[in-house]
Amino acid sequence: MATTGLTSRRRRRPSGGASSWGIVAAPLTWVIVFFVTPVIMIAIYSVGGISGLSPNDIEEWTITPWKDFTTSPVYMGGLNPLGSGLFWKSIRMSTIVSFTSLVLAYPIAYLLAMLAGKRKYTLLLIIIVPFLTSYLLRVLAWRVLLNPQGVINTFLVDTVGILNGPIPWLFNSSFSIYLVLSYVWVPFVALPIFVTLEGIDEHLLEASSDLGASRWKIFRTVTLPLSMPGVIAGFIFVFIPTIGEFITPQLVGGPGGFMFGSAIQSAFSFGLDWQFGSAMAMFLVFTVAILLAIFGRYLNVRSVAG
Amino acid sequence: MNMAASRSGRGALWVAFWLLVVFLYAPILILIIFSFNDRELVSFPWEGFTTRWYHEFLANETILKALKTSAWIAAGASAVTTALAIPASIALSRRRFFGKGLVSGFLLAPLVVPLVVLGTAMLILFNYLGFPFGPLTLIIGHVIIALPFAILTIVPRLDRIPVALEEAGRDLGANWWTTFRTITFPLLAPAVLSAYLISFTISFDEIVLASFIAGSTTTFPVYVYSQLRLPTQLPQMPAVAAVVLVVSTIVVSLAEIVRARADRALDSVERVADEPAAEVVGVEV
Repeated sequence: MATTGLTSRRRRRPSGGASSWGIVAAPLTWVIVFFVTPVIMIAIYSVGGISGLSPNDIEEWTITPWKDFTTSPVYMGGLNPLGSGLFWKSIRMSTIVSFTSLVLAYPIAYLLAMLAGKRKYTLLLIIIVPFLTSYLLRVLAWRVLLNPQGVINTFLVDTVGILNGPIPWLFNSSFSIYLVLSYVWVPFVALPIFVTLEGIDEHLLEASSDLGASRWKIFRTVTLPLSMPGVIAGFIFVFIPTIGEFITPQLVGGPGGFMFGSAIQSAFSFGLDWQFGSAMAMFLVFTVAILLAIFGRYLNVRSVAG
Repeated sequence: MNMAASRSGRGALWVAFWLLVVFLYAPILILIIFSFNDRELVSFPWEGFTTRWYHEFLANETILKALKTSAWIAAGASAVTTALAIPASIALSRRRFFGKGLVSGFLLAPLVVPLVVLGTAMLILFNYLGFPFGPLTLIIGHVIIALPFAILTIVPRLDRIPVALEEAGRDLGANWWTTFRTITFPLLAPAVLSAYLISFTISFDEIVLASFIAGSTTTFPVYVYSQLRLPTQLPQMPAVAAVVLVVSTIVVSLAEIVRARADRALDSVERVADEPAAEVVGVEV
């Protein structure tokens, strides 16, 4: 849990013992061999520098896989964020989901950090626990609720009888994708916002009040701006995993739930067009890198550690 | 005057809080309730209370085997993750060395790479090496995903353990290893336990990597995913889901409570550590 009142820490280098590089050797090697290397490999593979892994591989240096998907109206269709390209569809999904999660989480984080007193950590725990339980089973729970023969529809149609048939937009729709993904991410977004709000010096609020600002003005001109790092961190930490998301959209989104992540996944599992899939995967890496270059300074990863 | 919200504002925020709690827990509770409904479909009408689905689930070899496979993989992955996270956290929290920024960047980078990318990357790596897909590749991948979370759980705790305690140990003649074993590790243990449990949950629940590099291994998420894609799933699924959700909720809550208790205990240690060194030595931890 986040802690208050960190006293000044003395970070003196301990005398003796293993060297710093000695103690990071094992974890660092693991990450370099099994994470950095494979990411570099897909980059090389996507331009034909490696081949022979799948039947359709191009065996010479080429930009064909990249050109194919960036120009294809199905996969990307150029730089048209409102177009039908799957990449942009995923970007739109990530934006909506991140924004919805923020709107739902902010008031709660505000309440807990500023007004809940001693109970705040317990109440925060109540919000966060669902996030730490099975993702897939929570998606299953929503399927049970939303599907045409599910709990909500059978309740309204058979038990209460106010409807003649299942609500069409409740399942296998954009609505169900946004709903379930926001549901999954709300607790995670609440954390960094809570941490930044908790770190705000109360004297600032008192000073603003003494100078005659109303509560709303204090919020708008002091609290909200000071909490922006947490808001941005929350946004980015939902946005990034959601761009590559294919499991949830497939399970609750029906045919419309085919996303950019699904395209990557099926290029590998069905299409046997691995270099094409690798180019798309690398494109996601670049997208993330651009986001981090813009917003990276707001990301204090420790603020999500809890 | 309370600067953060008016009386009515506070009321509205509390209503929002409890609505969010309902939003977060209702789907899980409804699933649990309907796992006792004596009906093939998980829906109304309520046809009576039954524990039939639980009996059927306990007799379903495929589900049990998938659960067991996942438990083993998660146990292995979280053991490796924790073992790597402890030295990594010590380096990040206690040491200053050339290239530290880069090292921490590498160690935490998996946090910001979409899992579908990691899945494809590992698929290509293991294919290239001719390494057979199975539990081992899953463990390797799960360690990569869980490591940043484990490090971010252990580092804040390490930051709070006064270096003075370790220095006192060394001043009294203990070597690096003895100091770690008798002073640092006991104080760190709650965070290590949390890190282990978080890694376990991450691995136990992991489906995206598994969909690329599981080979023919059927982990529990792989099984659930295959069931969910069928038009009608097994009627035992809600029962299985209920058991797993309840157990994981209890385990995670307990771990968090233990960690919060231990944090409060550290508050007193921290206060004492600010006193002159002679008193520090006498602290029982």
